[in-house]
Amino acid sequence: MTDALTIRRNGDTFLTLSPDGTATGYNGHVDLGTGLQTALAQIVAEELDLPLSAVRIVLGDTARTPDQGPTIASESIQITAVPLRAAAAQARHWLARAGALRLNAPLADISTQDGHVIWQDQRISYAALLAGRAEVLPLDDAAPLKDPANYTLVGHKAGRTDLPAKLTGDFDYIHDIRLPGMLHGHVIRPPYAGRDSGDFIGRSLISFDDSAIAALPGFVAVVRQADFLAVVATKAHLARQMAEALPVQWHRPPDLPDLSDPVAAIKDHPSSPRVLDTTGDIRAGLADCSPRLDRRYVWPWHMHASIGPSCAVADWNGGAPIVWSGTQNPHMLRGDLATLTGLAPEVIEVRRHQAAGCYGRNCADDVAGDALLLTRALGQRVRVQLTRAQENLWEPKGAAQVMEVSGGVNAAGDFHAYAFDSWYPSNRGPNLALLLTGAISPEPRPSDMGDRTIVPPYRIAHKRITVHDMAPIVRAAWLRGVSALPNTFAHESFVDELAAQAQEDPVAFRLRHLDDPRQADLVRRTAQAAAWQTRTQPTLRRKGRMAYGQGFAYATYVHGAFPGTAAASAAWVVDVAVDMETGEVTLSRVFVGQDQGLAINPDHVRQQIHGNVIQTASRALQESVSFDQITVTDQSWATYPLATFPQTPQIETMLVARPDDPPLGVGESAGVPAAAAIANAIFDATGVRMREVPFTPERMRDALGIQPRQSAPLALPGRRKRKTLLATTLGLTAALGLGALSFPLARAIPKTTAPAAANFSAETLTRGETLFALGNCASCHTAPDGAPNAGGRAIDTPFGTVHSTNLTPDPDTGLGTWSFAAFARAMRAGISRDGHNLYPAFPYTSFAGMAEDDLFALYAHLQTLPAVAQPTPKAQMSVPRPALAAWNALFHRPQSLAPDPAQGADWNRGRYLVETVGHCSECHTPRTALGAQAKTPLSGAMVRDWFAPALAGPDAQLRGTDDIAAYLSTGVAPGRAAASGPMAEVIAGLSTLPDGDITAMATYLASLPTDAPAPLPEQAATIPDRIDRIFANACASCHEAALPDLLTAAQIPLTRAPAIRAPSPAAAQATIRDGLRAPTGTALRDMPAFGADLAEADILALARYLRARYAPDLPGWD
Amino acid sequence: MTRDLALVVNGQPVTLHVDADRTLLDLLRDELSLNGPKYGCGMAQCGACTVLVDGAPARACVLRGALAEGRSITTLEGLADPDTGALHPVQQGFLDAEGAQCGYCLNGMIMTTHALLARTPDPTEDQIRDALRHNLCRCGAQVEIIASVKRAATLMQATPTQAPKVHAPQIQAPRIQARQVHAGDPE
Repeated sequence: MTDALTIRRNGDTFLTLSPDGTATGYNGHVDLGTGLQTALAQIVAEELDLPLSAVRIVLGDTARTPDQGPTIASESIQITAVPLRAAAAQARHWLARAGALRLNAPLADISTQDGHVIWQDQRISYAALLAGRAEVLPLDDAAPLKDPANYTLVGHKAGRTDLPAKLTGDFDYIHDIRLPGMLHGHVIRPPYAGRDSGDFIGRSLISFDDSAIAALPGFVAVVRQADFLAVVATKAHLARQMAEALPVQWHRPPDLPDLSDPVAAIKDHPSSPRVLDTTGDIRAGLADCSPRLDRRYVWPWHMHASIGPSCAVADWNGGAPIVWSGTQNPHMLRGDLATLTGLAPEVIEVRRHQAAGCYGRNCADDVAGDALLLTRALGQRVRVQLTRAQENLWEPKGAAQVMEVSGGVNAAGDFHAYAFDSWYPSNRGPNLALLLTGAISPEPRPSDMGDRTIVPPYRIAHKRITVHDMAPIVRAAWLRGVSALPNTFAHESFVDELAAQAQEDPVAFRLRHLDDPRQADLVRRTAQAAAWQTRTQPTLRRKGRMAYGQGFAYATYVHGAFPGTAAASAAWVVDVAVDMETGEVTLSRVFVGQDQGLAINPDHVRQQIHGNVIQTASRALQESVSFDQITVTDQSWATYPLATFPQTPQIETMLVARPDDPPLGVGESAGVPAAAAIANAIFDATGVRMREVPFTPERMRDALGIQPRQSAPLALPGRRKRKTLLATTLGLTAALGLGALSFPLARAIPKTTAPAAANFSAETLTRGETLFALGNCASCHTAPDGAPNAGGRAIDTPFGTVHSTNLTPDPDTGLGTWSFAAFARAMRAGISRDGHNLYPAFPYTSFAGMAEDDLFALYAHLQTLPAVAQPTPKAQMSVPRPALAAWNALFHRPQSLAPDPAQGADWNRGRYLVETVGHCSECHTPRTALGAQAKTPLSGAMVRDWFAPALAGPDAQLRGTDDIAAYLSTGVAPGRAAASGPMAEVIAGLSTLPDGDITAMATYLASLPTDAPAPLPEQAATIPDRIDRIFANACASCHEAALPDLLTAAQIPLTRAPAIRAPSPAAAQATIRDGLRAPTGTALRDMPAFGADLAEADILALARYLRARYAPDLPGWD
Repeated sequence: MTRDLALVVNGQPVTLHVDADRTLLDLLRDELSLNGPKYGCGMAQCGACTVLVDGAPARACVLRGALAEGRSITTLEGLADPDTGALHPVQQGFLDAEGAQCGYCLNGMIMTTHALLARTPDPTEDQIRDALRHNLCRCGAQVEIIASVKRAATLMQATPTQAPKVHAPQIQAPRIQARQVHAGDPE
């Protein structure tokens, strides 16, 4: 449909009207999830007198919208909507004139309403006036605007236009773009995650070996350009698997400065001062202060922390690329992509789709560069989805910031002098693809964005305001509030300190120094509406262990190049509660007064206030990025926790009604006072002044002098364990060494051809198969990813490594030439056919008690397995095989189990299965230093990194025939026990067992526990700290599930987890590190592996935490 | 290793020829082109991927396809009335109270609310906060989401026939039939 009316300037279209009377507005900004699209539609519909449903808004699309710069600084409504609004007003005037002509009416008497031109009782629709027209008008910025008094849409309720599709899954986020023929790229980032300057950038990739993956189904290509590396495959999951399997070698990056001390790191970093405001004589002014206060305020690195990792799709399109992106800045991105490819910007089209909220410069632009490099290399469309870890590690962070202040009041109590210096190591985040490929040099690039809200709003006689521009230390770019947030933290904390010093109410002190009546009005009205409690010193209100306080702060968000443009102003009154035992700070109520001039959509303005409060409070209370010596370490929410629902304060808002004033940006203003308001409230509650964000419980405990919990020493057990093992090995060798030779070695049993399968009865074979499953033979006798039952699995023992043997009937490497006699001897005496002793990792000590016909059935089954030729690797053991004969003489009593006449048939059958072929004692009975089973059978033991819990005696947790039978047949006794690790594999084998055998084993096992079961402890209280937060954010969703029927939750409470009740943390560590995988045929569930996400020290600390919290009745692992 | 994996998705039986170790989230998004469940963290930390499995909430990013075999999966796309297209009361509650900003977490909020209201039809605000404590929203839409859950509870009680239910295969229209044609892994 050709447009009937187009309003343009310099080739940019701002508004079109269709012949059907509907309007389309064009704006170069994008909707970051704030409702901009709806608000712009309201503005256009209002000026055009159209219903909201007749207006469509096209945002950020390089082929269609004007270049209005990045969607930053809360300027979309305040600045970039201005020409759109003018265009709409201009179009309404055009329609009115056209209507006047058509109706032959005086223009002055014409009105417009609901898509119609009206004169007296005559109405003519816009559509009728537009039919057949094709007008193009130059934009008239001076078109008279509607009187706000007549607004019916602007300033009123209007639902989000994008919400209905989002509710049903019909909305196309950037992640949902699927194009025909699209391939999938998975990037492999260098080890210098989150860094952007230094010679090593773009020059660290040594080599990779694509032969490791090139033959896999779905492989397309490995694409490399300098340090840019990616695998492309036909499917996303394959691309990821291949990327993770690709051997890549990188140079080790140089160390970072120690960023756990941001002050030293930032102040040691090159910077250049820019003096922005000098009023009066700062030297003299400072000299007159009584007293002069010198303060330093510190802000940490923060993440944007988008909930959806960035994604992009690109189509090379024969050299005129189209890029689908979630960018904040389509035109700026297009410029970067032009630099990346050498193409002219006009050739590239960026189509913007909504992404997860970004709140600033995250990886959205970077991943667009990735996708474009890949589509250029392959000529096909490529989608790239970053992982959570890639997003968190590489996103340009919100920069740390150091603010130093000197100043004070004079003898009259007036704010007299203020010297302010701010260091802000950030820039605009050069596109990562440009850096990795070397398309731009990795030189330090300072920027000038540290000057947002850098001048406090108060009347101060002597001022010197200086920003120290500096390049980032780690990748950093704008994040909501940019430098205004830290600068305001300093200004508004310091003002609070001055008021306390002067023993004056903090609000009264501010008002006394505010000259702007509109600003003063906001402060006064907010304090009044929020029931601000006047005070001249901290109130220190206590009730039990809680201290309560109220804080005030206020700021105008000033954005753009200094002196910048003022967006909305916001004032906070916040009520906090401080737990004086744990140091936790809780926000109980936040009251925000805001002056944004005309509010286009008051509901959505309030939503922005709510969002700013919650997000900024999260940043102020709990967020800070961690680093090791090379890189960012926070890969997930485990170590970078975001505020959750229970932490959400009650939020009250007051919008100052100023419909006659121009609308001011509301995207960031409400958050700017947050940190200072909270710090001031903490001061009011406790008398303690917090000058470094975040105000974590640890920092609060330090500040309040609360004794922190004893911290656990790290990294000792490994060394201690090795020493113990070494001593045991030496002991065993010494004990057996002398006597070894006096025992004769066993003779070989001659080779025979094994009988063919047809020689065995079906009944025998079925029985053999069942025994094979019950004995879980396949588990040990199959190597990881190896042929079934062909052996080769390495079994680590305290005495070295032995490999399982080939059980298949291959004549050279398996049992194909074994007679039954040879097999029976091996099973009963631990002697191989050729006469050499088998290491007791092979549980012949249990098998010895098997009945002869069971051994025969098992032998028969083995001879029917598919033959696999696979030799067994040589054992690497510290104990020589001949010594085993001595060990057998000492510890092995080969005898059949005689039935106990006092017990029933089930019990006896169960005992036989458990004690012989089931070989349960191999794991569940502790061993002596010499590797023999201790005299406390089935009383629980560590087996390498796993704990086999007690089945007998007072410590047995799983009791009762029904629970045990359920556990044996499915792996789960609901709520009481769930198999994990090697036991899960055992259960998988048991699942083929006849019910009668399961019942029998359960009957026997249920008879073993003695005494009343010890009641399991309640979980112990925890102290909020880093590890407690890791548990809350990485573990609790499954282990303290919020909904009782969560299908992916853990099946038993951690108080019942054997790994946590084990003698050592090894099993808990292994479970956290490697996760759990439910074997087929069980009712078990998976657990994700955290080995890549958490540092080993954190995993150990987490294991200790779990022990202390969930097994407080047992000795700690500290 | 690829094999046939049978699921019922939004009432429609589907058989995928895939590696059954892939996550359910991956299968729903990449094989069935469903957009409701979202990839957020891959480690059950954020809740954006939540679906219902036989009516119970599940974090699809940590659930292997093999463990969902034969089960009935309901995604955001399967909540609205298949015949009339009318929003489910939980969806309507989130529309009425505008329980989203960017909306990326919205799927998890809605599916978790669905599961909450199935057990607790009239939750207190504390119960709502508690039930959603492992669902992350970075925009800070918590205030509106809590209001949405309350609104949804009211709507559900007003329309008892709309109580949360497990999708039964026989009563559902084949919403995703066309999406089966490209489902499968390379051999």
